[in-house]
Amino acid sequence: MDTVAADRLQFAFTIMFHYLFPIGTMGIAPFVAWYTLKATRTGDERAAKSARFWTKIVAVNFAAGVVTGIPMEFEFGTNWAAFSARTGNVIGQPLAMEGLYAFFLESIFLGVLLYGRERVAPGFHALSAMMVCLGSWLSGYFIVVTDAWMQHPVGYLIGKDGTVALTSLWAVLTNSFALWQYAHVLCGALVAGGYIVAGVGAFYLLSRRDVDFGREFVRAGVVTALVFSALTIFPTGDRNGADVTFYQPVKLAAMEGLFRSEQGAPLAIIGMPNVKGGTLLDPIMVPDLLSFLAYGNFRSSVVGLSAYARELWPPVELTYYAYHIMVGLGTIFIAIAVLSALLLVTKRLYRSTLGLWMLMLAMPFPYIASEAGWVVTEVGRQPWIVYGLMRTSAGVSTNVGAGEVVFTLLGFAGMYFLLGFLFLFVTLREIGHGPDPHPSEGQLLRATAQSA
Amino acid sequence: MSVLAFVLLAAMLVTYALLDGYDLGVGAVVHLFARSDEERGAAIASIGPFWNGNEVWLIAAGGVLFAVFPRAYASSFSGFYLPFMIVLWLLIFRGISLELRSHYPNRLWHDFWDWAFSLSSGSLALLLGVALGNLIAGLPLDEHATFVGSFALLLNPYALAVGAFSLLVLALHGWCYLRMSLPDAPVRLSIGRGLSLAVLLLDVLVTALTIVAHPMGGPRLAIAGLLGFAAFAAFCAAGIMLRREKSVVAFGATSAGIVALLGAAVATVYPYLIPSSTRYPGLTIFDSVPNSAALAGIVPVVVVGLIIVYTYLFLVVRRLIRVRDPKNVGVSLAE
Repeated sequence: MDTVAADRLQFAFTIMFHYLFPIGTMGIAPFVAWYTLKATRTGDERAAKSARFWTKIVAVNFAAGVVTGIPMEFEFGTNWAAFSARTGNVIGQPLAMEGLYAFFLESIFLGVLLYGRERVAPGFHALSAMMVCLGSWLSGYFIVVTDAWMQHPVGYLIGKDGTVALTSLWAVLTNSFALWQYAHVLCGALVAGGYIVAGVGAFYLLSRRDVDFGREFVRAGVVTALVFSALTIFPTGDRNGADVTFYQPVKLAAMEGLFRSEQGAPLAIIGMPNVKGGTLLDPIMVPDLLSFLAYGNFRSSVVGLSAYARELWPPVELTYYAYHIMVGLGTIFIAIAVLSALLLVTKRLYRSTLGLWMLMLAMPFPYIASEAGWVVTEVGRQPWIVYGLMRTSAGVSTNVGAGEVVFTLLGFAGMYFLLGFLFLFVTLREIGHGPDPHPSEGQLLRATAQSA
Repeated sequence: MSVLAFVLLAAMLVTYALLDGYDLGVGAVVHLFARSDEERGAAIASIGPFWNGNEVWLIAAGGVLFAVFPRAYASSFSGFYLPFMIVLWLLIFRGISLELRSHYPNRLWHDFWDWAFSLSSGSLALLLGVALGNLIAGLPLDEHATFVGSFALLLNPYALAVGAFSLLVLALHGWCYLRMSLPDAPVRLSIGRGLSLAVLLLDVLVTALTIVAHPMGGPRLAIAGLLGFAAFAAFCAAGIMLRREKSVVAFGATSAGIVALLGAAVATVYPYLIPSSTRYPGLTIFDSVPNSAALAGIVPVVVVGLIIVYTYLFLVVRRLIRVRDPKNVGVSLAE
């Protein structure tokens, strides 16, 4: 195997596995903050138990996110030394800031949230829940800023030896590319959070247990999922797409499977790209729609792949499919959320077996959509590691061979298989215990009465 | 500016050694400290709220190293590819074992994760010492300041001695932490005594080996020697204070000892970040920086960040070690 391919495979595998956990943390942490705050302010018992329940889920997520996140920072140096030595002065900065400004916030206050209930004042405890949420969101911001610089480099200067030096940290932190990308990423995580909370609630309702919690979770989850599925598409997805159209037209062409430049370009709903022949197989097209989505005008001209030298194309199939999976799932999320919200408003959702099953089974899909979105972003960036500035093939460590990378890739695969298995085991166990492991007698009687 | 950046980085690494040092040490000695399942659970719960935050010091320091000394970061991380990956896997394994233990009340589950925690913590304490030893002794570098030696070469006798020393020092540090946070736990006092004596012995041995293996000029030798001796005095004090059951003072003493030892290490190699053992020059703090204007951007950001972190670390730790109801400590997860 060639070294560049091995390095890319290892990074792709470790980052995609890692990203599963931040999705959960960023998406569920606001629910923890909300329930903790509610419990502190009103003394509501159910909110307090909900807060404790979701805190446990977030804690496992966070720990898995930390242990799989440390390798990411290491891998820049171990596998991508040439890239790091050349651009480290820029991309190291947001990473250092992530550690200092976000990670400490998250981890130190998570300690308070988990262990401090009996040791700190209730107000401070609620503050900690909000700090954990803020920390996880900030951490996401610094990561997106790092990535956005690789998509659209700003605020730098190239020295005589080719080394990139930072000229404006502010420009990097407020990179226009980063703002919409971050909003889109965060909305995606909140869709996941909404669907997880709703899905767990649906599980309790369908199992006829913890009914009060089930209703609460379904309601909170569906509302969140509805709001943020809409925001994921418009304006964040749309604006993020506009940035890609403007700065990375060849990525757009690969995403849409558009081989030839066209005036009034059609949008492919489905179809399979045949890269050799330069066509889409078995497509279903909507005429002129791509021009409208990209430029707001049905007659605009959209640049196709053939306008670029072949070596500047990203891997077309992967970019195309990842994009279509993301968009397709995004549409389904809206549909499920709207349907569930309608059932909720007409007070039928809690009794609708079909609706609840749908919510429960929808849980994994926001994860797939988020991962697919990142595949579009990063695979579509190829062959560049920093867009227009440095090739991916020039970024690898020259002193690390493919043999070593394959060995460590196998090591990560084994480690992460074990971790994934244990994570599921522990999370499912906590869900099985439920938010109320020791319900009072009155609640038990009511639960029995309701299920009867 | 380079010097200031180096001071900040060193301060972060020293903080890491002190803080994660005690929870690594707790891992190394947990089976000596506690015999029963419940006692081990209490010992591990005593670091529960803190270990994750402690580990962030390593991540944050890595980020700062990346930003301010990118060449040193790239050269060292890729040069030590396999050892770094092993450290990563140990960190992952240790994190999993700490996190998962409390989620399933079962003896076998607890035993398994306690040993996983203990072995990974001990190995990390040893390996971090080995890495430090290699840095002090200098590394075989090529003309691009890239490490060209083999994995086996890193396990040389001098580095292993430093590794063993690191393991023992952190074990003593962790022991003091446990005595401090669980003062009523029944323990054999002879273990604390044995640990202190072993640390003192190795302090002398490693200091002597360093002077022999790494000939230094006058003032450098004086500073390093003095700090080595200060560490010796601090560990002496720790041993005596443990014996008098003043574990808080003992913990302070081991902390002072660790700071002195790391100071001695810096005095030995400064201004090199990666010293060379070949005819090619190593990387100093001056030539691994892209330009000083770029550093002027990040250094204030790091300073402000550190001030914020130290502030709320202080606020939080003060609150967390104050126990409202001693019966309920550490049950939030177990319930």
